[in-house]
Amino acid sequence: MRALCEEAVAAALAGGASYADARAVVRRSQLVATKNRRVDQVDDIESEGIGVRVLVDGAWGFACDRRLNETGARNAAERATSFAKAAPGKHERALAPVEPVQGDYRTPREQDPIDIPLGDKIALCLTAEEAAQNSAVKVTTAFVRAMRERKVLVSSEGTAIDQDLVECGGGIEATAADGEISQIRSYPSQHGGSSAGAGWEYVLGLGLEREAPRIGEQAAALLSAPICPPATTTVVLDSDQVALQVHESTGHPTELDRIYGTEAAYAGTSFLHAGDLGSLRYGSELMNITADPTTPGGLGTFGYDDEGVPAARTPIVEAGVLTGFLTSRETAAKLGNGGGGSMRADGWSRMPLVRMTNLHLEPGEGTLDDLLADVDDGIYLETNKSWSIDDKRLNFQFGTQVAWEIKHGKRGRMLRDATYTGVTPVFWGSLDAVGGPETWVLYGLTNCGKGQPGQHAHVSHGAAPARFRNVQVGVAPS
Amino acid sequence: MTSAIDLAERAVAAAEGDGAEAVVQTEHSGFARFAGSEVHQPTLIENVSVFLRVIRGNRVGTAAANLVDDEGLRELALRAGEAAEASPEDPDLPALADASQLPDVDGNDGETAALGPADQARLAAEAIAGAGDIPVYGFFTSGTATVAVVTSAGFAGEQTSTDAVALALAATDGASGYAEQTSWAVRDVDPAAVAREAAELAGRTANADELAPGTYRAVLGPYAVGELLQYFAFDTFSGLALLEERSFLGGKLGERHFDEKVSIADDALDPRGLPKGFDFEGVPKQRVPLVENGVLRGAVWDSASAKRAGGSQRSTGHAAPPAFRRWGPLPFALALARGEAESVDELVELVGDGVYITRLHYLGIVEPRQGILTGMTRDGTFRIRDGKLAEPLVNLRFTVAVPEVLADVPGLTRETTLTNQAAFYDERFAYGALVPALATARFGVTGNGGPPGI
Repeated sequence: MRALCEEAVAAALAGGASYADARAVVRRSQLVATKNRRVDQVDDIESEGIGVRVLVDGAWGFACDRRLNETGARNAAERATSFAKAAPGKHERALAPVEPVQGDYRTPREQDPIDIPLGDKIALCLTAEEAAQNSAVKVTTAFVRAMRERKVLVSSEGTAIDQDLVECGGGIEATAADGEISQIRSYPSQHGGSSAGAGWEYVLGLGLEREAPRIGEQAAALLSAPICPPATTTVVLDSDQVALQVHESTGHPTELDRIYGTEAAYAGTSFLHAGDLGSLRYGSELMNITADPTTPGGLGTFGYDDEGVPAARTPIVEAGVLTGFLTSRETAAKLGNGGGGSMRADGWSRMPLVRMTNLHLEPGEGTLDDLLADVDDGIYLETNKSWSIDDKRLNFQFGTQVAWEIKHGKRGRMLRDATYTGVTPVFWGSLDAVGGPETWVLYGLTNCGKGQPGQHAHVSHGAAPARFRNVQVGVAPS
Repeated sequence: MTSAIDLAERAVAAAEGDGAEAVVQTEHSGFARFAGSEVHQPTLIENVSVFLRVIRGNRVGTAAANLVDDEGLRELALRAGEAAEASPEDPDLPALADASQLPDVDGNDGETAALGPADQARLAAEAIAGAGDIPVYGFFTSGTATVAVVTSAGFAGEQTSTDAVALALAATDGASGYAEQTSWAVRDVDPAAVAREAAELAGRTANADELAPGTYRAVLGPYAVGELLQYFAFDTFSGLALLEERSFLGGKLGERHFDEKVSIADDALDPRGLPKGFDFEGVPKQRVPLVENGVLRGAVWDSASAKRAGGSQRSTGHAAPPAFRRWGPLPFALALARGEAESVDELVELVGDGVYITRLHYLGIVEPRQGILTGMTRDGTFRIRDGKLAEPLVNLRFTVAVPEVLADVPGLTRETTLTNQAAFYDERFAYGALVPALATARFGVTGNGGPPGI
């Protein structure tokens, strides 16, 4: 694979490129899903190819080819170069310098998740599903996934990197319905469960079967729960919902390509400006956000990003003040600060984009009960159900699968159909407690969309339960 | 190079079992994406993917690969067979598609298929120039995608489809406008006109005001109607969702719940859309009435959901592409029937007092059973006063029960627009919704966002 990448880079330079990099990727992924105690899907997918990115007179070009041979490598390089030459207008692009590196990286693992027999994966799902059954539950699903990816990157600057990455995950879901109302509960998260950059031991550690009865019972109980009433009140979010809040309202807005407008037509831009760095108050002093591609078990954990920048921990928000962005070499050079490190592509057929790696809300102190104890009257919200945020990442509305009243510091009645809404810096400014390290959980999601053509990114978020004051809860439909 | 259908036949031949189905998707595409009036993400894709389902007894397993030589197909068949062996028996496994008469459809244009990187860059340049002085963001893309399905039960079909999309957001600080054109023939896509439309709209959006939350009469332009309808349809018009009690249709089929001006169908045979002759199981496409004159008529089905429904229910030809398969049957060729209004201005006059919405952003399904969605407006939101477009508005958060939006519809335009609904993830599969602009008596505005622009 390295020789093919070198061949592609050489072909691109010969074609007039001033810079070129080539990524050869071989990815195998498996998905096992069961529904209502039957196998719903057993997929085993293999995909390989090479993607070549070039700069010609300051214009980018990217092309890919599924053939991992000399013909495919040269073809991708030549097409990328010709596309860059055809780009209209004048272009000026600089890349922040990166030390050329010869390196490799391997995800730590006890058991390669692809090596686990499909039969074992199916059995795990069926067992978990069985445990979620009750008379009110109409649909149960369980799934596990596994992925192994070998990725070789070679650049015209002398970088050559070989990475061997694995990830896996799973989840269960129960939907109860009574003809008029449908309610869902899931574990360990919504949005396709949770995954980690780890071996199969991660999936076994999730305890899907152990948690399934609770999920089924709560789905059933929601059918008779009252609707969460509208109010401006104190909310406590569970760590899963905090992870989603971090993703949508701090992760995407701090992507520097969005700030520079390159996602404007699709995913949107950001309320932030490059000049806000170091001065903008993002939230309260309890808000500390860190991008860390070295986090053990993260889906955004690697040795090097897709531009060959070594993984490094970067503070994004410190004591409520914006202190960092997620960057590429190009955007870092434009900013005149930093050196990139967040560039990732979805497989071999897409151009790298600025993506979140692992973005965390750093823990504070105390347990969930401690957070609740300081609330006389409020709402505790658990597990995301719906999400929407505007193109500048300011106005959001999120719904959760379940909520509980908080009365006099204790959890009270269960509530259904809870939503809350806010404006990003105002909301984070109302943060007045974050749970301690013992409550901090790493979630991994695989459905972060961006780019045209579209790309899925796999990212992780560490989060603890958090408390926010004066939040608008509940929005009645028209 | 081996044709897609030959490749599918070779994959089925390599399978060992009691039955097999191969789906081959090929892609040859170019994407000239631009921002700030400069191409910044140009992407050329060449790929072939083979999805093989192998059946052993009542067990089924699927494997996929893009290695298409003999050794690659043998390995693929082996992995699919192992997946089938690992699976428990499924007594309700539907039969594979057998030979059938396929409808003749349009959708393959030689001029579009012949577009290369230089053409895609040129058409992006036309959009950039068309916007004039205002920075423009968007893309021009064209592609050729072939789908071949072969089953051991006798079905063998191949269809090559072309598509071309020009999309433009013209935007500055505090002002933005949006437009798009989609067709299977590039001759029907004018990137410069798209950009001009976006720029002209942007010019009217500066100094936007906030709006008090409440329920307003509204006119939704075709881009907004297309996206709202597509999101609503994912759960509402899916046969699987109906079976799983998460569809608004549950218990309401045959009843009138929408304004009698509202008729919705899924019609992949319509040449004004992005035509398809068969689905990803090899079942012929057909026009499926979903709503007729406000009366809820039905949903779309694939073979698995149809078998589970029992009775006389058959697949309507809506098996989804492999990347979407877990979601069950999906309507990918939605069409909202046109109305009588000669123009959007006429709808604005009908509404009298309300809001005009060009485009939506980041829709979320709050409650599928009731069809409640939330999202934001963007790139061209205006107040309607005295039957005319008035001052621009900031991006608005809305939370609506779509059935309520469709329950009282003062009018729809006579003209319909094919709105692009594909974000081009995974294997290329272009789809859109053919819709008019629509006026509604009820649209719930629940908050204010930022101003238009970037």
